[in-house]
Amino acid sequence: METRIGVYICHCGTNIAGKVNVDEVREYASHLKNVVVARNYMFMCSEPGQEMIIKDIKEYGLNRIVVAACTETLHGHTFREVAKKGGLNPYLVQMVSIREFDSWVTEDKVEATEKAKSLIRAGVYRVNYHTPVETTTYPVDSNVLIVGAGIAGITAALVLADAGKHVYLVERQGFIGGNMAKFDKTFPTLDCASCILTPKMSAVKNNPNITLFTYSEVEKIDGFVGNFDVTIRKKPRYVREDLCIGCLSCIENCVYKEPRFMSEFDEGIGKRKPVYVSFPQAIPLVPVIDPETCIQFRTGKCVQTCLKGCPTKAIDFSMKEEIVKVKVGAVIAATGFKVFDATRDTKYGFGRYPNIYTTIQMERMLNSAGPTGGEIRLQDGSIPKEVAIINCVGSRNENFNAYCSRVCCMIGLKHAHMLRDSIGANVTIFYTDIRANGKGYEEFYRKVMLEGVNFVRGEVASIIPSENNRLTIVFEDTLLSRVRKKDVDMVILNVGLEPHDDWEDVRKVLNLTCTKEGWLMEKHPKLAPVTSLSDGRFIAGAAQFPKDIPDTVAQAEAAAAEAMSLIDRGFVESEPNVIRIDEERCSGCRMCISVCPFSAITYNEEKNIAEVNTGLCKGCGACAAVCPSKAISQNNFTDEELYAEIMGVLRE
Amino acid sequence: MINPTEVLQSFEGRMKDFIDGENFRKCIQCGICGGSCPFGFYTDFTPRRMITATRAELVNEIIESNAPWLCTSCNLCTSRCPSRIPITDALIPVLRELAMNYSHLPDELGQALTNIHRMGNSFGESNRKRAKWSEGLGFDVKILKKGEHVDYLFIVDDFGSFDLRAQEITRSVARLFKMLGIDFGILGERERSIGDHVRLAGEFGLFEEIARSNINEFRNYSFENIVTLDPHAYNSLKNEYRRYGFQSNVMHYTQILSERLQDLMKLMHPLNYTVTYHDPCYLGRKNGIYDEPRKIIESIPGIKFVEMYRNRENSYCCGGGGGGIWYDSYIRKFVKTRPAEERVIEAGKTGANVLLVSCPIDAIMFEDAVKVTGLEGRLRVMDISELILESIGKGV
Repeated sequence: METRIGVYICHCGTNIAGKVNVDEVREYASHLKNVVVARNYMFMCSEPGQEMIIKDIKEYGLNRIVVAACTETLHGHTFREVAKKGGLNPYLVQMVSIREFDSWVTEDKVEATEKAKSLIRAGVYRVNYHTPVETTTYPVDSNVLIVGAGIAGITAALVLADAGKHVYLVERQGFIGGNMAKFDKTFPTLDCASCILTPKMSAVKNNPNITLFTYSEVEKIDGFVGNFDVTIRKKPRYVREDLCIGCLSCIENCVYKEPRFMSEFDEGIGKRKPVYVSFPQAIPLVPVIDPETCIQFRTGKCVQTCLKGCPTKAIDFSMKEEIVKVKVGAVIAATGFKVFDATRDTKYGFGRYPNIYTTIQMERMLNSAGPTGGEIRLQDGSIPKEVAIINCVGSRNENFNAYCSRVCCMIGLKHAHMLRDSIGANVTIFYTDIRANGKGYEEFYRKVMLEGVNFVRGEVASIIPSENNRLTIVFEDTLLSRVRKKDVDMVILNVGLEPHDDWEDVRKVLNLTCTKEGWLMEKHPKLAPVTSLSDGRFIAGAAQFPKDIPDTVAQAEAAAAEAMSLIDRGFVESEPNVIRIDEERCSGCRMCISVCPFSAITYNEEKNIAEVNTGLCKGCGACAAVCPSKAISQNNFTDEELYAEIMGVLRE
Repeated sequence: MINPTEVLQSFEGRMKDFIDGENFRKCIQCGICGGSCPFGFYTDFTPRRMITATRAELVNEIIESNAPWLCTSCNLCTSRCPSRIPITDALIPVLRELAMNYSHLPDELGQALTNIHRMGNSFGESNRKRAKWSEGLGFDVKILKKGEHVDYLFIVDDFGSFDLRAQEITRSVARLFKMLGIDFGILGERERSIGDHVRLAGEFGLFEEIARSNINEFRNYSFENIVTLDPHAYNSLKNEYRRYGFQSNVMHYTQILSERLQDLMKLMHPLNYTVTYHDPCYLGRKNGIYDEPRKIIESIPGIKFVEMYRNRENSYCCGGGGGGIWYDSYIRKFVKTRPAEERVIEAGKTGANVLLVSCPIDAIMFEDAVKVTGLEGRLRVMDISELILESIGKGV
């Protein structure tokens, strides 16, 4: 069949036409081989521009289109759709960039015009070799995997479950609720965290569309967007969830009469027994037995009073790790954060001097369900009269974390308010800047100021134990330009937020990318904040970057909506630029397998050849480049096409 | 030796007594106050830094410094404060009160306050001379007797009564009232200081005494409104005396002239002047009267009106307020260019040959500043009432 090419040159207003003599270029293009028609127009992407191309396809019987305009990334899709509407295979279109590659970066008008000609010539040569490419569609599984059951994961799970999607909610800890479950009150409204979180936790437990895996981790995710195969590893909690009724008599009957071991949930300021729940309203209300501290596991010779006291005999020391496999169409990563380890910044003496706490410890201390029952006490049991809150610990400091952790200022204000309120303490906040940039936040700041909380701008240089168990703080009051000292009874270190220590492993398992600090990477910071760079995988909450509860919830709901948009569309289109492996030429060397970043190529031992899963192939072309036998070719990037393009651009 | 803790407690205790007084705790240390302050360049303690010092328990250092006294009470800081801290009405006067408790105050201020306490006026003059300005006007100004009624009780206050320059303004205002047929009267020797500067100087006790005694005196007469010559008196009567039960309607003379503009315009004749207008702090910024004076000025035929850069709510200060006029030599010790000098230079730059004012203290301060800055002969300082009179007189 005769090749009939139409060339369309866009002015892009003055973006292109201001530098490139578009009339001259059109005239030039119209004489290139196989070009039947060449036109220029003010905005080719506009409705009249598109209509013009469609009309020409029919009128001139065009079977190849070259559009010289912006870029493939920006409008490739637009003009493929135009071809489709005109009855052509969309891949018979070639975009030529004469804006980004030419008019925007070329000073001289004559040079710009000449360059446009050569780029168009390359496009015309290339498009001669284009062949129709057919894409296939795959159905999307309607189940969703959510990793992490803090407030982000819980919110996303409930939104999806309410929409009738089935959710597998996987939580690493024994109980759901994440960090929010540790908090006492939330800023700036001072709602009690439990009062707003626990109803959502129990809704998760009771929703038939949610399958909850606690004390579990995602081991592996295979497959591709819409069709993921997830492997979940359930760690043994040694209390059977199917039998336990949550009476907690095992904890009461444990051979340890008093809690003796550091409670992780209480951030080190409370103790627990080897058999424990995080807090009395925990979900699931099924205790976990910690084999590290349980006498039965350590010696094998415990009297097992827990088991004796258990009315349903739910305690099972023989429980083993379990592997569960589920299929999902989308994944939401809501893996959260950890707080900065204050011992790293040694000038504060955390861990060395008494009565120095972190903000998260203070949350536990203020919490009426916490280890002190909400009582604020110094280590000698007395009530502190002077308290210092030190902001930006581990944050805004290039020696630790250069970023601002965003939530600490408000936490400090909240604690200052609560300490004045509950024990009437004099509270001084040491700050670098107060950042109160949410709805009602600045107002809360003013309210706390008016209550009489003292504010000093200046970071604390050192904390030294002084007489009567007090602590002397030395600092420069930068607003007064003087170095001052202050004696206090208690110091609260307002620690920043960090990614989990094992963020690198988590990232790999979930196939996501991260910033250099380890925060999950979004596809676009403004326009795609909950979409990751891997199709079908979304992100939510503080795992992306420190954020407060309102922002976390908003993001979780957005991630749920994105997942739903994928599921309800019902199908995904396959990548057009996939590779093909010529079985005859393949020598089975497997170099392609080693370079494929998407694990799309497998080795067929029987035939001694490589085989591609086109559902996984993203069309990156790495394998085609590396293949020593030229067995791999890639749609839209065949050797003929590439050589023609090179010839075109080089030829005078 | 001042005990820092004790004086901090007194400070915090006193601030509570004022409406929004505790807002000082909400200071975000933005520094708009210091940047706005006419004396900001010359003090170790801008209002921001005063608050920082209270937080560092160093109130003693403030009151031992000159800072409390380097305030003209122009209210610019207060009007701009993002935390709505009553700097002018509470923070500064409270610190002044504390400073006075420890005998840290400018000598001349002490003298003025003693005069007010003993004689009823800051000049230390006999009150029998209160109505001296009204002599030779060609008509009698009614001096009210007990029980007598007038539409307007004219409160002249100390400067309009005793200062030679201010007396001229009093006379021109009285003349205009007469021409307009306004039924007004004065208290004569029974008038006493209204006391706004006393309040701002931190002598709250004396101010209360003055206010109560004046209110009692007013009860002896019958009047519909009070009209004041001085914006400071206007402010006190309108805003502060209310606290002690005073209820009468209070006006500034420019408001009356503005109301009667139609009548005035029939009398006026063209004048060939370019004029600019200085908003007095206590008429403009503090009480929002910006338009009436401008309306009057623009209705004088032949006049070209130009604004200074800093006008209306951003108007600058003459430096005489808050007692500043009483201790000018103290201020001169610390301040290179006084606000009045800066202001007349600014007025000169507009190309105006008349700087109009509507406050007797402005006239005194600016006239002095014109002499110092070499603008004499080029820039005349006139009260609005004086310019109207000149316009009327031209046709005679």
